[in-house]
Amino acid sequence: MAVNGELGADENKSSDASNDLPIFNAENLQTNMKVIYYSRTFLSIIGGVVAGILGLTGLMGFIFYFLIMAITSIGLAAKAKFSVHSYFDCWNRIILDGFLSGLMSFVLFWTFAYDIIHIF
Amino acid sequence: MAEDLVLDGAIRDWVLIPLSVVMVLIGVLRYFVSKLMRSSQLPDAKILKEGQVIIRARNLRAAANFIPAKSFRARRAYYSNEENGLLHVPKGQTQNAQAQMFSDPNMAMDMMKKNLSMIIPQTLTFAWVNFFFSGFVAAKIPFPLTQRFRSMLQNGIDLSTVDVSYVSSRSWYFLNLFGLRGLFSLILGEENATDDTARMMQMGGFGFDPTKSLSAEKDSLDIVQHEWALPKFEQRAEAVLKKFVS
Repeated sequence: MAVNGELGADENKSSDASNDLPIFNAENLQTNMKVIYYSRTFLSIIGGVVAGILGLTGLMGFIFYFLIMAITSIGLAAKAKFSVHSYFDCWNRIILDGFLSGLMSFVLFWTFAYDIIHIF
Repeated sequence: MAEDLVLDGAIRDWVLIPLSVVMVLIGVLRYFVSKLMRSSQLPDAKILKEGQVIIRARNLRAAANFIPAKSFRARRAYYSNEENGLLHVPKGQTQNAQAQMFSDPNMAMDMMKKNLSMIIPQTLTFAWVNFFFSGFVAAKIPFPLTQRFRSMLQNGIDLSTVDVSYVSSRSWYFLNLFGLRGLFSLILGEENATDDTARMMQMGGFGFDPTKSLSAEKDSLDIVQHEWALPKFEQRAEAVLKKFVS
C-alpha cells in the first residue's frame, strides 16, 4: 500500500561541522515539502479508492485514513533514512504537513468508489 | 437510521460517473485555456531590475551571518544608504509609479481574462447539472452526519425524512469542486488553475507595487542584527592547513 515511489528527495546539506547552526537551502526545502504534499495527495486518493472498495463506513474509514497517513509518515521518514534533520527543519513537516488537505480528496474518492460498488 | 433507499443503477451510469468525469475534464480544459489566454507581455525593464535588486538584498539578509561584520556593513551601505543606495527610492517617484500601475490597461485586462476563465466554466457546469440532474439523490456518503449538513448535502431536495448521508446530484457537484483540487495538482503539475486564481485575488487586492516592496526590503535590511557565525573559522582553517603542511 505504501506507494512512495515518487519520493525523490534531494539533500539539504546541513553538515557544516563544528558549529550547530541550522543551514538550509530554502529551495531544496521547498522541493522536499512539495514532494511530501504530492505523495500525501496521491496516497489519500488511492486510499480513498481502496476504502471505498473495501466498503468501509463511518468511523472505520477515517481510522483507515489515519492509518494511511501514519504509514506515509513512516515511509517518508524511512526514505529520509530517519535523519530527518538533513532534509527538513523539524519533525512536524513529515508528520503533520498536508494532513488535512488530503482529507477532502480522500472523502471524495471514498464516496465515489463506495457508491459505485456498494450502493447501487 | 431510516431504511435504506434503493437507487437505480442507471443513476450511477448516467449521473454519478459522467458528472465526475466531466468535472475532471473541465478542470483540465480550463487549465489549458487559461494557459493559452495568458498574454506574454514584455516585462518592463525597470520593474525587472527592481525585482532583481530585491532578490539580491534578500540573499544578503539571509546569509548575513556568514560574512564578516565589515563586509556586511559595506554591503548594507551599498544597498540602503540614503543618497544612492540601490534600495533607496526617491520621494517623488513613489506616487507616479503607483498611478502608472493602476492605469495600465493590460494588467486589468489580464486579470479579467483570468477571472472569466474561472467563472464561465463553473457557471456553465452548474447550469448543466441543475438542468439535467436536479431533484434526485445521486450518491450516499459512507459516514453519518448531523442534521446541520442537510442543506449542504441535499441541496435541491426538500424532504426532511431522507437520511442526511444521501447526497443530491447538485451537492455531489460541489463535493467534486472542492475534492478534486488535490487530483488537479497531481495531474496538472503545480501551477494549476485554482492556485493561480487564488494568487490573483491576493495580488489584485492591494495592487502590486514594486517601489513599496523596495522600501520594505530596505527597512528589514536596516534592522538586521549582524552576528558573525563562524568566529573560530580562521583558527580551524589554520589547523587544517597546518596538518597539510606538516
